[in-house]
Amino acid sequence: MTQPTLPEPDIAALPIKLSIQDLSFYYGKYRALNHISLDIPANHVTAFIGPSGCGKSTLLRTFNRMFELYPEQRAEGQILLDGEDLLASRQDVALIRARVGMVFQKPTPFPMSIFDNIAFGVTLFEQLSRIDMEERVEWALKKAALWDEVKDKLPQSGASLSGGQQQRLCIARCIAIRPEILLLDEPCSALDPISTGRIEELIAELKKDYTVIIVTHNMQQAARVSDHTAYMYLGDLVEFGDTEQMFFKPRRRETEDYITGRFG
Amino acid sequence: MSEKHLSSQFDSDLTAVSTKLMEMGGLIETQIQNAIQALTQFSVPLAEEVIQTEDRVDMMEVAIDHALTSIIARRQPAARDLRLLLSISKITTNLERAGDEANKIAKRVKSIVEGGEARMMPISDLRLASSMAITLIRRALDAFARLDLEAAVSILKEDDLIDQEFKGFTRKLITYMMEDPRTISDSLNLLFLAKAIERIGDHAKNIAEFIIYIVKGTDVRHSSLTHIESVIH
Amino acid sequence: MRNEAARRARFLRRKWINRVALTLAFAAMLFGTFWLAWILWETLRLGFESLSPALITENTPPPNEPPGVGGLANAIWGSLVMVGLATFIGAPVGILSGIYLAEYASRGGLAMTIRFVNDLLLSAPSIIIGLFVYAVMVVHMRQFSGWAGAVALALIVIPVVVRTTENMLALIPAGLREAAYALGAPKWKVIIHVTLNAARAGVLTGVLLAVARICGETAPLLFTALNNQFWTTGLSGPTANLPVTILQFAMSPYESWQQLAWGGVFLITLIVLGLNILARILSRNTSS
Repeated sequence: MTQPTLPEPDIAALPIKLSIQDLSFYYGKYRALNHISLDIPANHVTAFIGPSGCGKSTLLRTFNRMFELYPEQRAEGQILLDGEDLLASRQDVALIRARVGMVFQKPTPFPMSIFDNIAFGVTLFEQLSRIDMEERVEWALKKAALWDEVKDKLPQSGASLSGGQQQRLCIARCIAIRPEILLLDEPCSALDPISTGRIEELIAELKKDYTVIIVTHNMQQAARVSDHTAYMYLGDLVEFGDTEQMFFKPRRRETEDYITGRFG
Repeated sequence: MSEKHLSSQFDSDLTAVSTKLMEMGGLIETQIQNAIQALTQFSVPLAEEVIQTEDRVDMMEVAIDHALTSIIARRQPAARDLRLLLSISKITTNLERAGDEANKIAKRVKSIVEGGEARMMPISDLRLASSMAITLIRRALDAFARLDLEAAVSILKEDDLIDQEFKGFTRKLITYMMEDPRTISDSLNLLFLAKAIERIGDHAKNIAEFIIYIVKGTDVRHSSLTHIESVIH
Repeated sequence: MRNEAARRARFLRRKWINRVALTLAFAAMLFGTFWLAWILWETLRLGFESLSPALITENTPPPNEPPGVGGLANAIWGSLVMVGLATFIGAPVGILSGIYLAEYASRGGLAMTIRFVNDLLLSAPSIIIGLFVYAVMVVHMRQFSGWAGAVALALIVIPVVVRTTENMLALIPAGLREAAYALGAPKWKVIIHVTLNAARAGVLTGVLLAVARICGETAPLLFTALNNQFWTTGLSGPTANLPVTILQFAMSPYESWQQLAWGGVFLITLIVLGLNILARILSRNTSS
């Protein structure tokens, strides 16, 4: 009798959206990332997990060159978005950020109406008529599963929403400018479990249209929402693989110790 | 499971694994049915079919276990979700064992036919027990699909009937063998078959107990029927 | 074993110390409030007596008129124009400098120097500012003028607004700025639409407090706008204003003038109180 087996998933066979090659990162003289290389597949959710200070957020912030806001921070290596190196690009950083959207740990509604919160980003790149803009706002809010809750209060301040709604507003604001990649930097750490559940459900929805990269300190969240997981420790990429395999039978002992809580 | 989870993926994962279990149950049901039919008709081709189904059953068991590990690893299920998944795992084992019993029946049928002793056996005495066993497995699967407590309890009661039937049958065989030692070889074959049928009924009973565990959260294995009824009402 | 008696003794001692400290703090608070209440009471009482429609419709009277004749119309007008002009000059300069400090040069030598100088200016006695404007404007133009008064007041407004603007902008969480940058917004848009917008109430509060402060400034006006007995339409000559008029009238031996001085004090107190309440309302609206 033959032993029945199931096929193991193969990441390498998937089309690559973002290819990180030999990336190192420095805060002044301190090196926070050591020669990271990995390929992030398109239209999947990739999660970065690891203990605080492992460099997962730092890595995320290189993907849209967010670190350039701070002069003492610098990245070396290559980040290829559809084959084009983002770090070497002569392109205006604004155009990169339009392609690579980012949502932060704390909800950050702008001090303006719900409508303008979304229109703000759109007007940076497109000149839309009032009607087109209304359509775009509705589209983005629907994508972010927020439309039904806010459609009657678009002129109200974004700050009047609940934390979970604010975070979805931030996601809507981000997808309104039609990015290709969505970076989520611990998007649920300030939210209650119900709002977290909504966002996680939304993430599952979003991967149909976007390549989603999420940093989370909650490895259960990574297990729930991601297709692939990368475990980082002290600036090194320890393991990258299929999420299911990672949480069932990780290849590396360090990964297993971390996800089973035998860390430290 | 009427209410939906926040995560529709979780819902569909749970539905998928339950569906797989029902599929496996259907396969086992056919296997048992074929085994019994092979027995009553002394049909070797049917017996062969039962034996060949075994591989598919094993495949399904592995697939269900894999789906379960995946859900547990990813979702950290709690409360009735956790009970459901634990129970599915155990129900799978019970179904696979019931399939094994069907397999044993089929193999024994083959060897009886090949030994040329078939026509002389009083297999009609097994007919009642075997049809009860098939019904119990089917009803256990139905009860699981609907998480029906009442049906589960009635299965527990009926398994007792099979057990009684088996005891009576054993006693009868002993009488046969004492009266006429030439029937010993046939009687042992029949005893073996009856035992397999009785085991199938036991597996149906175990499945029914897990249904109560899923819904009520009480482990009713090794409890009396009166206690079980007090748990439910 | 625990020594219950000793534990209890320590507890009672702590409780007693707490009571003493509370009493002292309360007494200190009462002492401060007492004087404040007295000042307010005197101002209101004496000022209220001199209230009449004439106070804001008639110009300052010559001395020796009977009490009740004349008002402060020209001084009120002069003050309004100069304070308005000073705010008009000082607030934009202050806000822009605050933005520069908070958003463009938060660290670095230049910013540190500017911050230090600004703090100096903030704590400089206003008489020094008056004297400075006197030296550079009044002396050169050979004339006291409302313009010089407005400039002197503006110089007081600027450091206050710079400080509050910078502080308010610094309070805006970095995450909000990053979120705007992450959308691909250029810096100036981030500042105008997001950062400044978020700090709007705080910045306005700073301007209001600066206005409240210059409403009562006397020293810089003594050297610049001086005073005027008459209604002036332009600002090119000595210009009447409330603080200097109050000073002059209050020091005079004439009863009618003294009474008008109290009326002026009453008006200024009222305006400052109103501005402070407005600022409080504004800052409350942001925090909620």
